[in-house]
Amino acid sequence: MKLKSTLMTMTATVAILFSGATFATAETTLETVKARGNLRCQVGSPSPGFYNLDSAGAWYGIDVAICEAVAAAVFGDKTKLEIQSVSSQQRFTALANGDSDLLSRTATWTMSRDTQLGLDFLQPNFYDGQGFIVRKDSGITSALQLKGAKVCVTTGTTTELNLTDFSRLNELNISNVTFEDFNVRDDTYLNGGCDAVTADKSALAGNKANFPIPGDHLILPETLSKEPLAPAVRHGDNQWADIVRWSVYALINAEELGITQANVDDMRSTSKDPNVLRMLGAEGDLNTGLGLDKDWAYNIIKAVGNYGEIYEAYIGGGEQAIGISRAGSLNALWTDGGLMYSPPMR
Amino acid sequence: MAIITKQKTPDRPAPLSETSVVGWLQKNLFSSVFNTALTLITIFIIYLTLSGVVVWGYLDATFVAEKRRECYDNSLTGACWAGVIAWLDNIFYGRYPREEIWRIDFGGLLLVAWMLPLWLSKVKGKILIGASVIVFYPFLAGYMFTGGDKGWFMQFMVTGAITAFVINMTNMLVGLLKNTSLDVFLMQLSGQADAGDKTQRNILLAMVATLFVAAFLWQASWNVTEVVWTKWGGLFLTLVIAGIGIASSMPLGIFLALGRRSKLPVVRVLSTGFIEIFRSVPLITVLFMATTMFPLFMPEGFVLNKLVQVIIAVILFNACYMAEIVRAGLQAIPKGQFEGAHTIGLGYWGTMGLIIMPQALKHMIPNIVGNIIGLLKDTTLVSIIGLFDILGMLRSISKDVPWVGLHKEPLIFGAMLFFIICFSMSKYSRHLEVKLSAGDKH
Repeated sequence: MKLKSTLMTMTATVAILFSGATFATAETTLETVKARGNLRCQVGSPSPGFYNLDSAGAWYGIDVAICEAVAAAVFGDKTKLEIQSVSSQQRFTALANGDSDLLSRTATWTMSRDTQLGLDFLQPNFYDGQGFIVRKDSGITSALQLKGAKVCVTTGTTTELNLTDFSRLNELNISNVTFEDFNVRDDTYLNGGCDAVTADKSALAGNKANFPIPGDHLILPETLSKEPLAPAVRHGDNQWADIVRWSVYALINAEELGITQANVDDMRSTSKDPNVLRMLGAEGDLNTGLGLDKDWAYNIIKAVGNYGEIYEAYIGGGEQAIGISRAGSLNALWTDGGLMYSPPMR
Repeated sequence: MAIITKQKTPDRPAPLSETSVVGWLQKNLFSSVFNTALTLITIFIIYLTLSGVVVWGYLDATFVAEKRRECYDNSLTGACWAGVIAWLDNIFYGRYPREEIWRIDFGGLLLVAWMLPLWLSKVKGKILIGASVIVFYPFLAGYMFTGGDKGWFMQFMVTGAITAFVINMTNMLVGLLKNTSLDVFLMQLSGQADAGDKTQRNILLAMVATLFVAAFLWQASWNVTEVVWTKWGGLFLTLVIAGIGIASSMPLGIFLALGRRSKLPVVRVLSTGFIEIFRSVPLITVLFMATTMFPLFMPEGFVLNKLVQVIIAVILFNACYMAEIVRAGLQAIPKGQFEGAHTIGLGYWGTMGLIIMPQALKHMIPNIVGNIIGLLKDTTLVSIIGLFDILGMLRSISKDVPWVGLHKEPLIFGAMLFFIICFSMSKYSRHLEVKLSAGDKH
C-alpha cells in the first residue's frame, strides 16, 4: 500500500512538473473547449478517405472535415483543433474520461454502443455497408456463390461477425482467414491465399484502386450489413450534442440550398432566400440555442465547404479522394434518392 | 653425423594451401565431393536470394513518382521507393512544422558537438563533460524542441547549458592546441599559475559568473515559436523517448540495485518489490496502464500529457532491468574491495562511488548496451497507443491516399534504419569495452 501511494505521488509530482497539468472544474463541454482554446477531436489510426496523414504531416479525410467544421462553428477558425489519434481499444474510454471532446472516426452507430457505453451517436456523415471483392477470373458474380470459399477478413471488428452470420444464414460454410492489418490481408488475397476479401465497401473500393491491375477484381453487389458511420459525443451534455449534430446538418443543408465554400459570401449578402439568410446568420437568431456566434454556420461553410464538396474532396473524385462515386448511393442527398437529409433550419 | 652450421636455416614459406586464395578455397570449400556439392548449392541459394532482392529493390524499383499507380505503370513487381522518399520528412521528424525542422537538426548537432571531446584523447576533464551533457543538455534541447515561453527555471537551466557548452568547447580547443586543461591554461594566461588554490578558484568562479550573466542576457532575447508535443513524431520521437528513458533509468536503476542490496529492510523490500512488479509485466501492459488507467485514478478534468505518461512508463519499466544489470555487476566485485575501501576509512557512498561502481560499471557495459538497444526497439510499441513514432509513421504511408497499400517498402526501410543505429551502437560499445579494459592486459 505504502509503495503504491508513494509511487503514485511520485509519478503525479513528476508529471505535474513536466506538463504543467491543468485542472478544470465541472463545466459544460462547450465551456471547457472554449476555455482551452482548441477542440480535441478523436480519430483512429489512419484509414484512407476518412482520416489519414499526408506527406507533409497534415490530417485530411471526411471525418477530419467534420472535426474542422465543429472547430469552425465554435471558434470561427478550423485550425483551433487538435486531432487525436487513438487506437480502437481505447476510443470510447478516451471520450468517456474527457480526453476527447468529440469522436469522429468510422465508428458504426449500433444500439448497444448508443445505449450502453455512455455515448450519443449523432447524424451519420457516411453510410457504408459490408461487401466482398473477388477475382474476375473466378467467375463468381454473387456472394451466394461463395460456397466453401476462404475469405480474408480483418479481425476484431463487426466485419468478422457479419461474415460468420452471413455464412451461417445462407449455409455457405465459408472459412475465415483473419488478419490484424488490412495490407497483409490484401497481399494474401492478391497472392491467392484466399478467394475473396470482405470489408466495408468504401474500403474495398479504395484498396481495389491500388491493386496492381484493378480491372481484374470485382466488388460483388450484395451488402451484408448496415454501417452508419456517425460522430459521437459523451452522453448527457445536450447542448454539445446539438452543436455537433447541427454542424453536420449545416453541411447537408448548405448543399441542398446550393451554398458552397466559394459562393458563401455572395449568398449571405445577395441571396433573397430566407432559408439561406437564416442559416448564414443574416436574419433571425438560430444560434442562440447552441450558445454560438451568429456566424457559426457561415464559418463552417467558409472553412470546409458543404457536404457535397467534402465528399468529392475525400471520397469521390478529388485529388486526395479514394474514388467512390456518390450518385445512387445512400450518401446522396435525399433529393437524389440518398439518405442525406437535414431537418429544416428555421 | 650431425651437421652443425652457425647459420640459421632460413624459414620455409608457409605451404601454398595456407596462403593462396586457391589453397584456402580448396581447404575450406572443396575438400571433398560432399563439401563441393554443399558449396555449390549454397552459392546457388545466395545467388537466388540476392538477385531477387536486387531486381525487386533496385533494378525494377521506382524512385520518382507522384503516386503508387505511377509505380505500377513503371513496373508491377518492383519496389516503390517513391512513397518512402515522399514521406522522409514524416519518417524522421513526424508532424513537426516543416519550417522549424532546423531546430531538431540543431539539437542533434549540438549533442554531437557536446560529446565530441569525449572521443578525443587529448582533451582533459572527461567526467565533467559527461556530467554536463546529462545535467544541462536535456534542458537546452528541450527548449529547442518545444519553444514557447521559458519559465524562470527553464531560463536558468538554458543559461547553465550555454555556459557549460561554451566552456566545454573552449576546453576542447585548449586541449587540442595546448594539450592542457582549460583552468591551467587560463591561469597561465593571466599570470596566476603560482597563486594559491583559493585565489585561482576565485578567479575561475568570477570568469564563469561573467559568462553566465552574459549567457543569461543573450538567451533572454531568444524567441522560438511553440511546437506542441502532438506534432512530434517519427525517428525524432523514438529517439526522444528512448533517450530520456535511457538517461533517467540508468541512475534510477543504480539506486534500485543499491537498494536491493541494502541492509535496511524497508529500502530493500521496497526496491525488490518495485523491481519484481514492473519486471513481471510486459511493456505494452505498462503503457496501456499509464495511458488508459492512470487518468481514471486522477481527479475529474485532470489531463496529463500522453507523451509524459509514456516516458514515465518507459523509465519505470527500464529502470528495473537496469537495476538487475547493475546488481549483477556489483556481485562480480570481490569482497576484498569493500573491505579495502573500509580500511582506508571510506563510508558507504565513498566506497560505492569511488571503489565499487567504477569497477562494476565496466563489467556491465555489454549488458547495458544490450538493454539500450532493446529499449530503443521496444519504444516502437508506443505506436500502438496512438503516438506517431517511426513505426507509426511507416505504417501510415500505406493509408495515405496516393500510396494506399504501400506497406512492405516502408517496413524494409525502417528495418534498415534500425539496423544501422543498433549496429553502430553495438560496435561503439565493443570499442568502449576494449578501451576501458586496457588496464586488464598485463
